[in-house]
Amino acid sequence: MMTRADWIVLILTVALLPSLYMRYWGDEGPATSVRISASGQPDITLPLTGNRRFTVHGPLGDSVIEIRDGRVRFVSSPCRGQQCVHSGWLARAGELAACLPNGIMVSVLGRDRRYDSINF
Amino acid sequence: MNLTVATTRQDHRIAWLTALAITIHIAESALPSPLPGIKPGLANVVTIVALIQYGWGTAAWVALLRVLIGSLLIGTFLSPTFLLSLAGALASIAALRIASWLPGRGFGPVGYSLLAALAHMAAQFFTAYWVFIPHAGLFHLLPVLMTAALIFGVTSGMITQLALQRLRAAEVSAL
Repeated sequence: MMTRADWIVLILTVALLPSLYMRYWGDEGPATSVRISASGQPDITLPLTGNRRFTVHGPLGDSVIEIRDGRVRFVSSPCRGQQCVHSGWLARAGELAACLPNGIMVSVLGRDRRYDSINF
Repeated sequence: MNLTVATTRQDHRIAWLTALAITIHIAESALPSPLPGIKPGLANVVTIVALIQYGWGTAAWVALLRVLIGSLLIGTFLSPTFLLSLAGALASIAALRIASWLPGRGFGPVGYSLLAALAHMAAQFFTAYWVFIPHAGLFHLLPVLMTAALIFGVTSGMITQLALQRLRAAEVSAL
């Protein structure tokens, strides 16, 4: 037999669970800026506006990065695997592409950066 | 010198219930789990039975002794696992204390069990987060863990319900 209090707790729990999923599994929205990290150089953050192409120098050579229509991608990179190029366009906050051989990481950030630091 | 410890009926009851809870706890620790932190927590059936039949004091003793002795037997005493178990047990008996103050018909086994499971899981999660893995990525696990707490809390509540019915039937037939 379930009492009224039992039902209330059960229904509240079932009702609140979806909001927990939305909060932690939900879409973080469109990306608004891009952060480019290259080994041995300070990070640079650019807004994801306009159309531009630029090169970033890494230990292997130059990687070409393109910003267009609020998205960003690796156009080319002097690495063997080409994982970074195959990552394609980054448009949603939280996505990232990296060229580890060339020591370059590109990540896109949303309006509210949920985590501004991670500590251990 | 001859030392004797006078034990009460209450002490014996706590000891028996704790022994039962530890047995279930250890049997369950052998079960594989898809995710760390997710397990049925059937030993809590004993805690809820103790709460409903004998009151919160007995339930709290049974829950805490189970964590202590269970960890000594499994070999996790003072390890991170132990700390998580202890945090969970403390939170769930605190939740049960508050829940048992509800006037009227109050909670039944399912409500108590669900509240205890949610409190247990939340306390373990935040202990893990603050003490061991202060990484925001851990929060991605929270919805899954709380879903598991919901399912297992209600399931053990229903098992508790059945156990209580059997216990009461046995008491009646013993009279």
